[in-house]
Amino acid sequence: MFIVGSAVRTCLGDGEATFTALLRGASGIGPLRYFDAGRLNVKYGYHIPNDGAEVSFSASQWLAACVYEALAQSGVDPKHERVTALVGTGLRELRAVERSTTECLPLYVERLHFASAVRQIAPDMADVITLSNACSAGGHALALAHDLIEQGEADAVVVAATDAMTESMLAMIGRFAEAPTAQIRPFDRHRAGVLLGEGAAAVVLSAEVRSGHPLARVLSTALSCDAYHETVPSAEGIWRAMQEALARGQRHASDVDLVVAHATGTALNDATEASLIGRAFPARQGRPLVTAIKGAVGHTSGSAALHSVDVGIRCLTTGLVPPIVGLSCPLDEGQALNLVIGKPSRASMQLACVNAFGFGGVNAVTLLEKAA
Amino acid sequence: MAIRVTAWGIHVPNTRIEELDDDSGLGPACQPERVGELLGRKGLLAKEPATRLALCAVHRALRLPPAGPRRERPPDPRTAVVASSNLGNVATVQRTVQTLRTQGLRSVSALDAPNVSSNVLASSVAIWFGLGGPNLMVCSGETSGLDAVALASTLLRAGRADRAIVVGAEPDDDIAQAVRAQRSGVMSGMGGPLRAGAAAVVLERESAVSTAPILGRVQTRTARACLPDATNVGLVVGPADQAKLPVPVIDLVWRIGDLYGALGVLQVAVAAKLVAAAPFDRCVAVLCGNPGDGWRSVVLHPGRADRQPALSGTVAAA
Repeated sequence: MFIVGSAVRTCLGDGEATFTALLRGASGIGPLRYFDAGRLNVKYGYHIPNDGAEVSFSASQWLAACVYEALAQSGVDPKHERVTALVGTGLRELRAVERSTTECLPLYVERLHFASAVRQIAPDMADVITLSNACSAGGHALALAHDLIEQGEADAVVVAATDAMTESMLAMIGRFAEAPTAQIRPFDRHRAGVLLGEGAAAVVLSAEVRSGHPLARVLSTALSCDAYHETVPSAEGIWRAMQEALARGQRHASDVDLVVAHATGTALNDATEASLIGRAFPARQGRPLVTAIKGAVGHTSGSAALHSVDVGIRCLTTGLVPPIVGLSCPLDEGQALNLVIGKPSRASMQLACVNAFGFGGVNAVTLLEKAA
Repeated sequence: MAIRVTAWGIHVPNTRIEELDDDSGLGPACQPERVGELLGRKGLLAKEPATRLALCAVHRALRLPPAGPRRERPPDPRTAVVASSNLGNVATVQRTVQTLRTQGLRSVSALDAPNVSSNVLASSVAIWFGLGGPNLMVCSGETSGLDAVALASTLLRAGRADRAIVVGAEPDDDIAQAVRAQRSGVMSGMGGPLRAGAAAVVLERESAVSTAPILGRVQTRTARACLPDATNVGLVVGPADQAKLPVPVIDLVWRIGDLYGALGVLQVAVAAKLVAAAPFDRCVAVLCGNPGDGWRSVVLHPGRADRQPALSGTVAAA
């Protein structure tokens, strides 16, 4: 199964701009826009650049831009092939529900999900399904896309994701923060919590390459649910996803050259994830390298998995792995990992593992292989 | 591989129509605030109405005893949960913002933290019943319920689970009603008031229950919906004005109201019950959607081994 198109929007720009900035160790963090930072106890965010006021239904607009770009790159034409779109999201367009009350802005119930946004770009898309699977939504969409193509239900699938920020989610982040978090510090001993990032992404998955070269092969995406707690991760559930990804992809743990971690900069996620990476992929001879991107682009919720996938593809292609922005002093559980700190690492890599975990204990682990 | 509907549960409060009796023997559906009588009281604090109704529908589908102790055990990794709801958490989202703005951050309930994420319904079902397989939350508008049924079938065919519990639920609080009423363009003014309710179906890969109804492939329709020439269809569960077959139609929206994201799952539950009930020996077609979100349909076939129909091509394209 090949990724034949990929498009990204983050606070750092499109896919290429984001990767270039990551290699520089840049961060897209800035003052929280559109919201009352004092009231929320959240001062910073990773916003997509915008000189004006908050745009209504912005998640739909970023999504449409990514779907357009990824389809164009892929050579896949929904008019002549059976193409399905699976859109992952954490917060849908719930921001519009909030603004319909606070600012009396119009709200259309059919625009809480993303069928109209995708059909605006690709009117011939067979199905458009919105999956609201929290912070691993994009990974869940990728797994289902793989299955749909293998089962002959689609010739290609546009796997997309998008999220803006909601005031209600920011309120919960502020509610649990002792003091406003200054930055996301993935895997750092002094990490102080998560911040949101705006963003969208789309990859096109297909068993065939239409034109040019595939960007990468997707060997597998494994899914699991902790069935443990709404907001506390469980090592058992994540471990199952990691092991199933290897089994479905028919690879050994020692084959993994790179891990693009979920790494949210929260106390619980990072300790649990670092332990499990060390257990699942024991470090030997400098491998696997471990990187993470949320310190630079924020937690982009439903898009987070696909943002990591895009970065994983670029790492495999260029042989360069960006440093973990925000990490200077690794947590105890990460001492044995080959965390990329301070400057990019250069390595010849074939296989990358991308982690995405979400509220509710929903886990998606993807194995990407360098395209031949 | 045949996918069978091996169980169903229906929990729609304030209605006693025969089609919605799920044969669980658990009595009429209670309101969200009284679900402790069915589920047991522990763990319900801060659970939203749609989540509570969903838990009840799954409880019924699993034929669990009322208010029995929840079993403490490791999660079952071979059972998936696929949930469908569009408005389950909109009230929490809006109330959280109102509380923040009128009373300040400290008055925002920490217990609502999971509820601001739309997948709380799906994950709550997994946690409550100990289901550790893939967990999906579908929020696709009018087709959401049948999208969930379709994706559950996909998971089963891919071998990601042996059993999938599909559950759809919607609330009918004032905020959900107000959001639901705001439709644009051709959809404005369509549909009646939202109806709170939930339904669940249990899907299994070819299983020991060889008499259970067989679920066909969920089909997509991009044009005006109709079900011409579907093989041996004796009944349609769907909108009366769209079912173009000369057979009886059960229009659940007309009968009980607008169940939005729960509708497709409820339709499949009702269809499965009808197919399973001897001597009904014909297929039942299910149709849901609207011109904006598109249309989805599926046919349920009698499961008895001596009259299994061919599964391919039994649902005609529009």
